[in-house]
Amino acid sequence: MKTLDIALKDLLRAARSAFFWVFAFGVPFLTAVLFYFAFGGLAGQGDFDLPKTAIAVVNLDEPTALSGGFSAGQMLVDFLSSDELGQLLQVTVADDAAGARAAVDNQQVGVAVIIPAGLTTAAFGSQERAAIELYQDPTLTLGPSIVKGIVSQLVDGFAGSKIAVDVAREQLAGQGATAGPVALQNIAMQYGQWSAQLGEGFEEGANPLLDIRPIGGEEGPDLRIRIISQVLAGMMVFYVFTTAANSAISILQEEEAGTLPRLFTTPTPQSNILGGKFLYIFFTLVIQIVVLVVVTGLIFGIDWGTPLPVAVVTLAVVVLAASFGLFVASLLKDTRQGGIVIGGGMTMLGMVAMARTFGVASPDAMGVVNVISLFVPHGWAVRAWQELLTGGGLSDIWWIALVMLALGGLFFTFGLLRFRRRFA
Amino acid sequence: MRVIDLALKDLSQLLRDWKSALFLVAMPIVFTTMFSFLFGGGQEDMRLPVGVWNQDGGSVLSIGLMELMQVSGVIRPQLLEEKGASDIERMVRNEDLAAAVIIPAGYDDLLRLPSGDARVTVVLDEASTAAITAQNEIQAAVARVSGAVQAAHLSTEAFEGQAGFADEAAKRQFFDEALAQAITAWQDPPLTVTTTQSGAIAVAPEEEEDGGSDSGNAAHSSAGIMVQFAIAGLIGAAEILVVERKTKALQRLLTTAISRVEIILGHFLAMLIMILGQMVILVAFGQLVFGVDYLREPLAILLVMLALALWTASLGLLIGTLAKNEEQSTMLSLMLMFVLAGLGGAWIPLEFTPKAFQTVGHLTPTAWAIDGLENVIVRGLGLQSVLLPCAVLLGFAVVCFGLGVWRFKFE
Repeated sequence: MKTLDIALKDLLRAARSAFFWVFAFGVPFLTAVLFYFAFGGLAGQGDFDLPKTAIAVVNLDEPTALSGGFSAGQMLVDFLSSDELGQLLQVTVADDAAGARAAVDNQQVGVAVIIPAGLTTAAFGSQERAAIELYQDPTLTLGPSIVKGIVSQLVDGFAGSKIAVDVAREQLAGQGATAGPVALQNIAMQYGQWSAQLGEGFEEGANPLLDIRPIGGEEGPDLRIRIISQVLAGMMVFYVFTTAANSAISILQEEEAGTLPRLFTTPTPQSNILGGKFLYIFFTLVIQIVVLVVVTGLIFGIDWGTPLPVAVVTLAVVVLAASFGLFVASLLKDTRQGGIVIGGGMTMLGMVAMARTFGVASPDAMGVVNVISLFVPHGWAVRAWQELLTGGGLSDIWWIALVMLALGGLFFTFGLLRFRRRFA
Repeated sequence: MRVIDLALKDLSQLLRDWKSALFLVAMPIVFTTMFSFLFGGGQEDMRLPVGVWNQDGGSVLSIGLMELMQVSGVIRPQLLEEKGASDIERMVRNEDLAAAVIIPAGYDDLLRLPSGDARVTVVLDEASTAAITAQNEIQAAVARVSGAVQAAHLSTEAFEGQAGFADEAAKRQFFDEALAQAITAWQDPPLTVTTTQSGAIAVAPEEEEDGGSDSGNAAHSSAGIMVQFAIAGLIGAAEILVVERKTKALQRLLTTAISRVEIILGHFLAMLIMILGQMVILVAFGQLVFGVDYLREPLAILLVMLALALWTASLGLLIGTLAKNEEQSTMLSLMLMFVLAGLGGAWIPLEFTPKAFQTVGHLTPTAWAIDGLENVIVRGLGLQSVLLPCAVLLGFAVVCFGLGVWRFKFE
């Protein structure tokens, strides 16, 4: 009973602090909103709604007699400036390569598309080769990748025509026949038509080459919600662990204020007092998780999973976070040390656990990071929530919950022993 | 002199505690390393791994598709032997693979038909940018295989129009030879698109093909982490002000010869030196370990560091003024660190965010600090390029310092 009294007293004290409310509930929610809008550019209505990329195009290409006045470079410029690409590209035409590069250097555009002088010659000649240069701002990745995809699509159309012509010429020659200029021009034209039809297929929204199968099927949640829920799971774990450690600091605060030594002089056993402190952290975290899960579920439509697995994960995360908080507090000399060690330490551990959220470049790195994240307690909690968010059930999370409970038991024991020695 | 004495006292108070000092220095170093690694550093083949489940056996076109994916500078195909659909989905979900390609049985036969209506299945996580990059590259390879079939058809029709084939077998042989030649030609196409970058970390062509350079990846990480942890460094520093106010040390100081201005400046100077020291360590680490070329424009980098440190120290003064206790000081520092780092693009590059978010992001000093640093170490620009970011940072510094001094309480 005394244990419960102590827990309730601490809960009441915490509830009176505006900072507690802001940090435990306000900031995690604010972070979710922040990411919700940040990812709006990538996943507007469940589809990829990409930010517009500013490009400068310089066309140095010259039509040749062989091409009959046709300019592959001009065709590329027209294609990039077309209304169909207006949602993706904002095109300005530069006079020369230096001007286009300067526009990138001055951050007026993200990419300069430099069409070489011999593009048409290379498209129609037999031996010539040409390369279109994309000069990009090195801080950008998404925009240049989009531009490269678009330019490559058209360039592959020209390259394919040339390959088709070369193949016909050589194969016919191999059989002792000769392909005349008209026949070759006809082949190039037919290939061009086929390539254009392929492009139109993409414009109509259906992918004529690939059957895209998203993991989790077509019926999964909105793409933006999926991204947000992953980020939010990590953020929730971070804030829960930080709240736990910060709440455990109340033991040191009471020690410094002299109330704790006074409590120890009463008949209440030391274990009851520390147990009360643990219960206070436990209740705080349960409330925090329940509020965050319910509020984000209602506002963002995040599906955290079915009640039983969610309850199991909540319980395991709370036990682990509360025990870890108690353990961390037991390592501290005083509350002053708590600020930087808890602030810094929890940030570090939380970011290690959330590393996969930021690792967009390499699945190889992800493999290592997934393992490293399990070396910190936060990592297990993040793993459990992510399992639930990707449709996992009790069978997927029971062992993670067991690990968390076991780790919680260890941290609790170590923390309690250290406090007992400290207050002996 | 008193200002310096007070600053030195604060600094010795901060550094005396080895745990705090360790976090101030070790944490940003650990994170620069981790983020550089995450964004691809330290790997020999940085191409995105793509699993391939070839259900079409040893058909010419499925092997041709594999070969065309193999020459890609972006994706690295790996044959998935004996894997089922659920295993593949699991591998993609666990991010062991950027995507998986399933070449269906009969792909070769279907694609050879005049209609050519054969598709390969791509399993991916649409929320992953790596997957979208991989999808573009897979699509290009599939389009090239289809193009090779088209070229073979056109050659066959051309020969048939001229001389005709003796029988179906001769026609099939002609088609196969033309197809093989076209697939080979696509492995080194006559028209290509090359990417070059401006700046100090301009990537060599061979590195570009592999997806970037180590120093480039580290440079991107380095700037964001430095800015984020400059704010994190305030957790302890701002707390000193709170503790001195709580313990009445500030009031006691007022009874000495030191003036109010000197007290404020002393504490401010301590924070400034601490943040600058932290940045110097990070710059040295980035330069020596990751080859991020901070020293290519030392004056420009120094200016950004100074402007960033002035703003951060002013923010520290404001936090130390507003916080009533140590807990509030820590929470305020952490909250500001998360909000400003998130909005300013330290975590997700602003390039990925909508226009409105980018505009809001540039209302934060963090975005300007990252711009200033990246202008030098990533874009390779000079002193001129950091003047605007520095001016904005100094503007924020003046506002925070002004508010901090205005609201400063000695009791």
